[in-house]
Amino acid sequence: MKSEDKSNPDTVKKEDAGDGVSRRDFLSSATAAGLAAASLGTSEKALTQEVAQTRVAALAPPSAMQQSMEDDTPAGYSSEEAQEYFVKNPGSDFMVDILKHLGFDYITTNPGSSFRGIHESIVNYGGNQAPELIEANHEEIATAMGHGYYKVTGRPLAMLAHGTVGLQHAAMAVYNAWCDRAPMVILAGNHLDVQDRRPGVEWSHSAQDCIRVVRDYIKWDDNPVSLGHFAESMARAYKIAMTPPMGPVAISLDGHLQEMEVGDQQLMMPAMTPTQPPSGDWAAVREAADWLVEAENPVIVVDLMSHNQEGMERLIALAEALQAPVVNQYGRTNFPNNHHLSQGANVIAQADLILGLELYDTWGTVNSLRDRVHKDELRRARPDARVIDIGTKELFWRSNYQSFQRYYAADLSISGDAQTTLPILTEAVQSAMSRSRRSSNGEREERWRAAHLRAREQAVDAARYAWNASPVSTARLYAELWNVVKDRDWALVSDDNQQSRWARRLWPIDKHYQWIGRSGGAGLGYGAPSALGAALAHRPEGRLAINVQRDGDMMYVPGTFWTAAHHGIPMLTVTHDNQGYHQEFMHLQRMSARRQRGIDGSSWVGNELTNPDIDLAKIVEGMGVWSEGPYTDPKDLGPAIARALDVVDSGEPAFVHVRTQPR
Amino acid sequence: MIIPRALYPFALAALSLWFDASLAQDTTEEGRALFESHQCWQCHGYEGQGGGAGVRLTPMLYPFEAFVQLVRHTNLMPAYSPNVLSDENLRLIWEFVRAIPEPPALEDIPELNLE
Repeated sequence: MKSEDKSNPDTVKKEDAGDGVSRRDFLSSATAAGLAAASLGTSEKALTQEVAQTRVAALAPPSAMQQSMEDDTPAGYSSEEAQEYFVKNPGSDFMVDILKHLGFDYITTNPGSSFRGIHESIVNYGGNQAPELIEANHEEIATAMGHGYYKVTGRPLAMLAHGTVGLQHAAMAVYNAWCDRAPMVILAGNHLDVQDRRPGVEWSHSAQDCIRVVRDYIKWDDNPVSLGHFAESMARAYKIAMTPPMGPVAISLDGHLQEMEVGDQQLMMPAMTPTQPPSGDWAAVREAADWLVEAENPVIVVDLMSHNQEGMERLIALAEALQAPVVNQYGRTNFPNNHHLSQGANVIAQADLILGLELYDTWGTVNSLRDRVHKDELRRARPDARVIDIGTKELFWRSNYQSFQRYYAADLSISGDAQTTLPILTEAVQSAMSRSRRSSNGEREERWRAAHLRAREQAVDAARYAWNASPVSTARLYAELWNVVKDRDWALVSDDNQQSRWARRLWPIDKHYQWIGRSGGAGLGYGAPSALGAALAHRPEGRLAINVQRDGDMMYVPGTFWTAAHHGIPMLTVTHDNQGYHQEFMHLQRMSARRQRGIDGSSWVGNELTNPDIDLAKIVEGMGVWSEGPYTDPKDLGPAIARALDVVDSGEPAFVHVRTQPR
Repeated sequence: MIIPRALYPFALAALSLWFDASLAQDTTEEGRALFESHQCWQCHGYEGQGGGAGVRLTPMLYPFEAFVQLVRHTNLMPAYSPNVLSDENLRLIWEFVRAIPEPPALEDIPELNLE
């Protein structure tokens, strides 16, 4: 039911979908979901294609009433009058066709009049399915949900932002996604034509260049002036967002285009083909392999690498071929923490060769800077250690925002997506290995097994300190959680960095989806909504999503829990409520000590979340979420989590408020 | 109550023990108050258990002199000079940390049998 436009083989004509067949049939050409993970791993690709087919099959044809309303002039109206009152075929319906064509599961938003046209089309024309509209109380929530969703599924969400004000609200979350290389497609409402703007607010909500507010930290944007332009820009935006190094993109959504009558326009549905991710240069990869094989103590350090489970498998293959330890900096779940080659960062100091894979901060991996009056540099690695850096950072960073970190000249720097490059690197390593080098692997394996076991025993032993303390120790919080969830298919949808990394130290994390990394830009207000976005992604799998929620982060975006309740997104939340902006306590403490003024009690000023104490359980209860607490006695924790789990099992979010030790 | 003269030495010894224990408790409480007001717990936890921001302090294996060196001349934590924290107060903090009881043994914590 689709036909190729002869003038351009890359497009599909919308108007050629005749024979009484709904224009929804264009969606049978939906391909984009399958593109999401092209070349990043066959298993993920197969999964996304399957999801795409399911999604298309679920779409219903328009009802007779809808068809009639679209085709006929209503009774009692002249055709001229009907043209003034009614639109048969609004531009935003076509926009929804494009969203479906690209395979978006959800579109998150806080409502706004600058996109009222597409809002209506999503709900009525699109049947509020694929994409389904997810309502949030703040654009920061809507955007960060897309961030978390991507990290589980490998697919981007679309986010609708109101003109000017909505995108400004979203900006913080966009910055986090940019720093974390998380793709998403932002659609920002706007009214370009001054004669089309209603007086008053519509002017305040319009801009000459509406994307400018986030342009410094997105990969690409466009300002389409026709529906054809919109279609092409959306396809381009999707490809750019999803080609490593990935990142957010934004398209301006003109109000006139949304609400106009399409009439007889010949609209084209752009075809989509996958863009292969960039791979490292073959000759340079072979040289890297030679260095790795020659090294006495090679250490692999990995950060933002694995796009999916396949990435983990590829890294296991390389590490085992070399019997080289892997230091995971946990930008993603890159390597199983229960594998004997999973080691702590201390091994970097012993390395004679460091292989960095998608490092966010190569300089900071090899060096450190002492936080004193004079900030002197210390080399963490051996002076003679060589560094190979494989990644896409040079293809990514832009000016202005300084998240690109300190300059570091690696001994061998290879530009290419590390996950894509790994198979040829591993193959080259295996070819370069002599028999004697291969035979040394047994001894290396034994050494790393012993070190891994020792570290594991030390972590478990450390967890018993402050076991019975009140407020609750963060180690106990994770141990109690583990005992309740260990027999489930679980996923942690929050970062444990502020809780002394107890999940990483105590829980076995060996699946890519069990961990979603960090925020990227370290902007508060990421935790709760990204966790909810990840929980939304886990919902169809029936997977238990666990969110350890910080109090400071939650107070930025408490409405997240309303969205959880409203959309019935099951998520188990347990709080890490240390009643303050704890990191800032420590900074104030450092400044006071440095200036010899002392900190005797004063570090609470400006940093506390007490007086009055915040009843987080009551906040979420008021938004329809089951909650208990606050608990300070560790003995109460296990039973409370078990009760919360019953609620989550019924398909709802649940919240246990726990007051804890600082970290 | 009249204590027979023959028991005077025992009574004095008991009194002395009580006084020492009471003094030690007072010292520990003073140390705890300083540990809290100088915000040691922010990085090291209320029970010195340590974590992502600071090392574990218990069991306190350093002699007092080494402890002073670590607090005053350090690479990691902010350096606390005697102008901010006197040797006397530092000793009270050290005494407090030394007095923090041992946590339960691993065998007594079934939740930490993670396998």
